[in-house]
This record gives sequence, C-alpha cells and structure tokens, in this order.
Amino acid sequence: MIQFDQVTKRYPGGHEALRNLSFTIDSGEMVFLAGHSGAGKSTLLKLISGIERATSGSVLVNNQNLSRLRASQLPYVRQHIGIVFQDHKILFDRSVFDNVMLPLNIIGFDRRDAARRVRAALDKVGLAGKEKVMPVRLSGGEQQRLCIARAVVHRPSILLADEPSANLDRAYALDIMELFKSFHQVGVTVLISAHDETLMEDYGRRIIRLREGQFAS
Amino acid sequence: MKHFFYLHWLDARQALRKMLRQPVGNLLNLLMLAIAMSLPVTLFLTAGSLQHWVGKLTAAPQITLFMELSAEQADLAAVQSSLSAHPRVASFRFIGRDQALRDLEQRSGLSGIREGLDSNPLPDAFVVTPKAGTTPDELDMLQKELSGLPMVEQSQFDAAWARRLHGLLDIAVKLAWLLGASFGIALVLITHNTIRMQILARQEEIEVAKLIGATDSFIRRPFLYHAFWVGLLSALLCWGLSSLFVSQAAPALNEFSHLYGENISLAGLNLVELAALTGASILLCWFGARLAADHHLRKVRAH
Repeated sequence: MIQFDQVTKRYPGGHEALRNLSFTIDSGEMVFLAGHSGAGKSTLLKLISGIERATSGSVLVNNQNLSRLRASQLPYVRQHIGIVFQDHKILFDRSVFDNVMLPLNIIGFDRRDAARRVRAALDKVGLAGKEKVMPVRLSGGEQQRLCIARAVVHRPSILLADEPSANLDRAYALDIMELFKSFHQVGVTVLISAHDETLMEDYGRRIIRLREGQFAS
Repeated sequence: MKHFFYLHWLDARQALRKMLRQPVGNLLNLLMLAIAMSLPVTLFLTAGSLQHWVGKLTAAPQITLFMELSAEQADLAAVQSSLSAHPRVASFRFIGRDQALRDLEQRSGLSGIREGLDSNPLPDAFVVTPKAGTTPDELDMLQKELSGLPMVEQSQFDAAWARRLHGLLDIAVKLAWLLGASFGIALVLITHNTIRMQILARQEEIEVAKLIGATDSFIRRPFLYHAFWVGLLSALLCWGLSSLFVSQAAPALNEFSHLYGENISLAGLNLVELAALTGASILLCWFGARLAADHHLRKVRAH
C-alpha cells in the first residue's frame, strides 16, 4: 500500500515539484500517473522509492513512513520495490544475465535458485536465449525489457515504472503495458507514469493526473 | 547465520577472482608492498639475531688485569687476596706470563717464538668474572677500582665493545620498528588510493546497486575483501622475500661469528611473528579500504 498525506516536495533552489498531495494506492492496485513533463510524475515515484525525501507531509509505503525512516533502513524498503527507470540504468560492463542477477545478489539469494529466477524473468519479458549477450547489442525495446526483468526478478510487492513507453512505437508500447498488466494480475501493486494518456484509457484503470505538482481536475 | 557466512565467502572468492583476472598488475602491486614491508622485517630479523648473541656476551663480562712486568710474587699475592675479598668478584683466574707465552705459541702456530725473544714480553694477568647481576655502572666502578690495585698496569673490559655494539643494535631495532610504522602508514595510504580508484571506476554500478536496495555494507564488502587479500598476500610475499634475504645473509654472518668462536643463527620469522605480520598487514589494508569506501560512498548519491 502507498499512502501520501499532504506531501510537498520542494527542491533546493525553491522549485516546488509537488504541492500538498494526498492519495492512497491500495495493495494490488494498478494505477496510471499522467501529466506533462515537469508535472511532478518522476518526483512522485522518487518519493515512493525513497530516492527523494518529502519536504513536508508523510509518505507511507508498506506501512513504513519514509519521511521518518533512517537512511540506513532505506535499502530494505527498496528491496521490496521494483523500479523501471526512465533511463534504464543498465550496466553495460556485464551480460544481460548478470544485470538481472544484481537485485538477487543484493538480497543475498542462493545462487542456484537465483539463476533459475533470472532465466524465468528473462523468459517472461521475452529475452530468453539472450542471457549471455552484452546489453549494447540489444535494441532500445529490448533494453527496456531487460530493465523490467531486473525490476521484477526479486518479486517485489510494488512495481514503479517511469515513462516505460516513451520512445517506443505504439505496438511495442502496448506489449510492455500487457507485461505490466500480467504482473498486476499476480498481485503486484503497479504504478506506471506516462505522458501519453491514450495508452492508459484502453485499460480502464485509475489515472492520477498531475499538473504543476497538483491534481489536475 | 550460515547464509550470512556463505555470502561473505562468495564475496571473498569473487574479490580474489577479480584480482586473478589481472594477474600482472596485481602481482606488481603486491610485490611493491611486499618489498617495502620486507625492508623493516629483514632489518628487524638481523638486528634481533645479532642482539641476542651480543646480549649473551655482555651477560657474562670479564675484566682482564694486566700486571706490570716488574711485578713480583708478593704483588701478585696482594692482588690475589684483594680479589678474593672483593664482594663483586665471583671468580678469577690467574694466567702467568710463561703460560701466556706458551698459549700464544700454540694458538698462533709460531712455535719457536721464544727462541727469538730475549725475554718474555708478556705480563702476568688476572681474568676476573664479576658477580652475575652486576649493572653496567657497577662494572665500570669495579673496573676503575681494580685498575687502582698496586702494580696493575692496565685493566681491560672484555665486553666494552660488545656493550657498544649492543647499544648500536638497539638503535637498529628501533629503526626497524620506526620503518615498520611508516610502511604501515604507507600501506593504509596505498590501499586507500587503490580502493578509491576502484570505487571511481565502478561508480555507475554502485549507483544502480544503491537504487535497487543495496545496503552500504553490501557495496563496501567487495572492496574490503579486495583489501583483505592484498594484506594477506603481500604479507606472505614479504615473508618469502625476507626468508630469501635471510638465507642469503646467513652464511656471511656465520663466517663473521666464527671469527669470534661463536655461532650466530640468523632465523626467519617464527610462526608468531608471521601471524602478527599478516594480521597487522590485513588490518592496515582493511582500514585504508574502509576509510576510502566510507569517504567515497557518501559522495555517491542515488538519483
């Protein structure tokens, strides 16, 4: 469960990315986050994953108040969250397999079970058979899928995706959306941000629309 | 708990494997550290062995009293009686001038030397052994006292040079410790720098790992294990090098000691010393790595 209570985020320099925002996303819900660039979508996702801290108000993730959490506790919150980064953040010095392995290494998964899990995740996103390939040789869409595989391999309870359909053609973007839907169907809380609302409307899910850090009505 | 050790074991193995992947560079690095360390270690070993030997010499010093050539039987008897009455004298031995000449002939192999001499040039002598536990200052006093006895021409303190050498070796041992300490600091700085470079080279990986939930200790661990291996391997290399130096120097030292009818054994590090060296080396490397990791990981912010 994700709960925002009167959350304001002001960046150093005075820019207010989010203003007095309150909402709740239930466990297992699939929610879209819409708005133009600069509306505060990325900031909202960063607050949930503890990458940024709220200036005021409280952010509750899985019943933990991130605003009050000590920095040393933050990693354990993140281990329950899967993040699909806008810029993918793939490590190009290692194979596809080792990229997906990283989250399992971090939580200290048994190596043999981990290898099985990595293959399952790659299979799920359609990258089976490419585990030994270096990420440079993947297409843009494939890199996106690799990033998704890494985000779900440790079976997080929350999946955040920041503009996953950006720079993809519509057919490919729909594929990716279907993928997220399948994670939602197995009980994962999914939050996807995008500036293209036409994709979301087909799914009939709740859409949180942001404009200049507030709900757009 | 078992799992915890398993993870550490994995990291340790991984760190070693990473080092083996660049064998030449890492070996050169280790050799540099080992050579630097073996300098004070070898100095310590050499000075220590010599000091042990010299210590034995000074532990039983002897004072030799040479009588004047004109000394007569009565004078000898007077010296003899004051020696036996002296509280600090444990024992003494009289070497008559005739016996001294015979000894000289035998030892130098110059038989017939007596025929070439008009008269015996050697004096009568007493070799005095002071009581055990006499301090160096008391020995000096005793020597002065004894040289004041009638008809004593000269008194010679056998162990004077040994004491001077002992003092000199004392400085050498202190120097070894000082060198050791400064190389210890160098070890910390060198690993600090090595780990700093590694962190900078892997900044991207660290950033991503932090973003997906890596704890600081998870990120630090590979670097600390790298430092562990550097500490362990360079200490072992240093042990090998110092053993090599010692085995090279031992024959020369043996020859030198035979000149004095002594036997000095120059030994390498014993097990306790090796363990202490290895422990110190690992600890210092680990410390340097920890400093670097703490300093630089704070700088890598997850965005």
